Amino acid sequence: MIPKNLLINKPASPAILEIAEKQFKNKDDVPLFAVIGDLDVDGKYGEGGVYVAKNRLVAIGKEFDGGFISLDFSSIAEIAVKRMYGNAVLKAKTVGGSSIDLMRFTFAMADVCDAVADFVTKVKEGESVESRFAAAEVTFKNLRSFCPKCGRKLPAPDADCLNCQGKKKIISTMAHYIKPYAGKLVFCVVLSIITTVAALVPPYVTSLMVDNVIPNRNKTMLIYVILFLLAVYLVQYGVGALRSYMLRVAGDGIIADLKKEIYAKAQYLPMSFYDKTSTGSVINRVNSDTTVLQQFMLRITQEAVVQFFTMIGIIVIMMSMNWKLTLLSLVPVPVVVLCSRYFGRKISPVYRRLWRRGVAISSILSDTIPGIRIVKSFSSEEKAIKKFSRQVDDWLNEDKKAAKVASTFPAVITFLITCGSVIIWFVGGNMVIDTPEKLSLGVLVSFISYTSMFYNPVNFFANLSDSYQNALASTEKVMDIINAEPERDFGKGKELERMNGKIEFRNVNFSFDRSKKVLNDVNFVIEPGDVVGIVGTTGSGKSTLINLLMRFYDDYEGEIFVDDVNIRDIDMGYYRTQIGYVQQEPMMFRDTIFNNIAYSLPGAHPEQVLNAADVANAHGFISRLPDAYDTLLGERGVGLSGGEKQRLSIARAVLKNPGVLIFDEATSAVDSETEKLIQDAIDRLIRGRTTLMIAHRLSTLRKANKIIVVDKGNIIEFGSPEELMALKGKYYKLIQIQSMSEQVAAEKAAENFE
Amino acid sequence: MSRHFIDGNEIRITVNDKIFCDVEFFSGEKFYNLEPRRLFPVTGLSEYITFLDDKGEEQFILRKLDNMAPDQRELLLNCLEEYYRIPKITRLISRSEKHRIWLWNVETDKGEYTFEIINHIQSMKMFYDKRILIKDGNDNRYEIPNIYEMDKRSQKLILPDM
Repeated sequence: MIPKNLLINKPASPAILEIAEKQFKNKDDVPLFAVIGDLDVDGKYGEGGVYVAKNRLVAIGKEFDGGFISLDFSSIAEIAVKRMYGNAVLKAKTVGGSSIDLMRFTFAMADVCDAVADFVTKVKEGESVESRFAAAEVTFKNLRSFCPKCGRKLPAPDADCLNCQGKKKIISTMAHYIKPYAGKLVFCVVLSIITTVAALVPPYVTSLMVDNVIPNRNKTMLIYVILFLLAVYLVQYGVGALRSYMLRVAGDGIIADLKKEIYAKAQYLPMSFYDKTSTGSVINRVNSDTTVLQQFMLRITQEAVVQFFTMIGIIVIMMSMNWKLTLLSLVPVPVVVLCSRYFGRKISPVYRRLWRRGVAISSILSDTIPGIRIVKSFSSEEKAIKKFSRQVDDWLNEDKKAAKVASTFPAVITFLITCGSVIIWFVGGNMVIDTPEKLSLGVLVSFISYTSMFYNPVNFFANLSDSYQNALASTEKVMDIINAEPERDFGKGKELERMNGKIEFRNVNFSFDRSKKVLNDVNFVIEPGDVVGIVGTTGSGKSTLINLLMRFYDDYEGEIFVDDVNIRDIDMGYYRTQIGYVQQEPMMFRDTIFNNIAYSLPGAHPEQVLNAADVANAHGFISRLPDAYDTLLGERGVGLSGGEKQRLSIARAVLKNPGVLIFDEATSAVDSETEKLIQDAIDRLIRGRTTLMIAHRLSTLRKANKIIVVDKGNIIEFGSPEELMALKGKYYKLIQIQSMSEQVAAEKAAENFE
Repeated sequence: MSRHFIDGNEIRITVNDKIFCDVEFFSGEKFYNLEPRRLFPVTGLSEYITFLDDKGEEQFILRKLDNMAPDQRELLLNCLEEYYRIPKITRLISRSEKHRIWLWNVETDKGEYTFEIINHIQSMKMFYDKRILIKDGNDNRYEIPNIYEMDKRSQKLILPDM
């Protein structure tokens, strides 16, 4: 019988359920968990299933005779997930040697199918069903859960569903940035109303002059009217200047806040975001897209309000002058609006493509300019220029399309508006000639002025769709960062009293991409004070172990403990400050040497920095520099050798005084003499601290009391160097190979000397 | 270490278990249970095929499929097709978007399917041969062999993002 609360990734279809129920009739033989696949054996979208009991599994699919196959664990020699290019297969090899594809599936199910393979393998190896079932349970729980409302996948279990937040999210995002400047913006609106009213006065005065003052030759009145006009213009331009200033202050404030927030958000995004997003794209979002957004926000909160009031004011005045002409002047409005909508649909995709081309250009710039040494060393200037030119040409082609649409549209609108004015001239002119008592020349002249003024707001609203589309494209990109799931810090505020440095990996599995598993069921314990060497070939998963320990990636299966506390439950900021991390290629900032060392301990006393540099064997070369600790380093530490940068990096770690130290190939890129200097520094630093060292040169691991050998994502050997040498496994072979190559190198060196 | 390059007329293959094959050189040398893989799965479908043993070690590289016997080429192509099988999208039935997450309902040569694209900008790539490769939120791949051979509506929905 199938338990009602069976652990399953999704509900099985009735057909599969029927077969499963027939297979599990016995009360003593119930499935513990099941996986429902989404492909049939030919790779077509369909369904299959695997039900796992404590000593057998049943695979269900149309490719099997009778629709199923039942395999006792004892009949399975090997079971594993075979990941292919586009999908994966759960394959079992029987003791008899035949190979069976149990289920085909997309990578959406890869993790749970791994859990099936692990369960069967480990139970066969003698592990308890209960412990393996608990591990499977964790995998099922880690499956991204679904939104109960819309059914979409959530970015993480318990995360908010972006889909259900609605479009209000965009508005609220904008409102969030406008809010701090609301007072200034409202004040600007008031000033705008004053300037708008002032702008509406002169045409009215014109009618007064044409109809009364000039025909009656009233010079006193003329002087009063001229003085009044001067006062009105003074108010209009004076208040306008104040408004421009206030607006700029508020606008720049908005853009500054936006940039700050995006940058701050970008600091807390997980490494997986940066694995997939180019630097150029992020820079583009901080620089260009924020400006586009700010301009749009100002257009909406200011221009739109002003133009709206202008339009209403003009209509009221025009209506009071002559309602028939007013209605006539409104005739082109629907055409203008329809044109605007059509234009919006035309221009939107062009702007999206234009943005993509812009990002491609930024990406080339951010790749090649910092890497100009590489470009020059390979004489690739011409190639770089060609590549860049091609991207710029692509951008230019898109821009031409955008320019075509963006230039044609205003011309069409202006022509329509001009037609409106011409109609008013024609109809109004006839009225003045035929019935001057109903429409005077002065009123017609001022009416024409109001008509041309009226089309300014109409034109504005018609063109608003252009900037709206542009802003929408930018909003999308900015929201991409603002709404991205940051690193999750479930243990915020929880700090350990003291980090002793016990590290435990328990059933850890990890993949950057579901199509390839990088770490497979990793288990080991490191005691406080251990010096552990991590060895293995390139790409075996050594650095990934460190990346997980550093919490650069948090979406792994299984658990990692430090001092018996799950690292996910420790405050992330605190946790990382307790680990000293020295990379293969140390990163230096464009700052002084002092500040580069003090980066790990802001506010450090100069003597602390000097001592740290001394411990790291860096003080000697620093003090010989003309500007010593005040030496300004270029980008990425230009001006220092690789070994010198490495020693500064170690000084940083010394200053931090961490509980756990990690060296990721710290001496791989330096000569033997420098290596010795760095090694001496490391030896001083690691005393009494748990230390993990990744090294290709096994000679650098002479201080290690434990060795982890990683191969294709598996820990294949773990123990003391002596134990592993006695084992004569992979470590033994690596030592043999290195000893031989070192001997050959030494002999060659000797020959060269001779 | 130099690679061992071979030509198609040097070997005879026997496919076993769909993606694995045994290879026999006409010189008599035999390899069992090798896995052929493309070195250029995106840009060079019928050249530079590497053959890996069960430890993932490369045994040799086949330069081109061209000079293989037709039946042999077909066997190898089937073997590769099994490994590189990805759905080919023939029509975009519908597409909706909320906050950068796109839900695509598509018709493919393997049936109708719905998937999510977390980020259009990163997950879709168009090549100069009008081919588009797509990766969904679960790292599954899809291919549009020629965007301009799709129906107008699908083109209209997809092209603006390219």
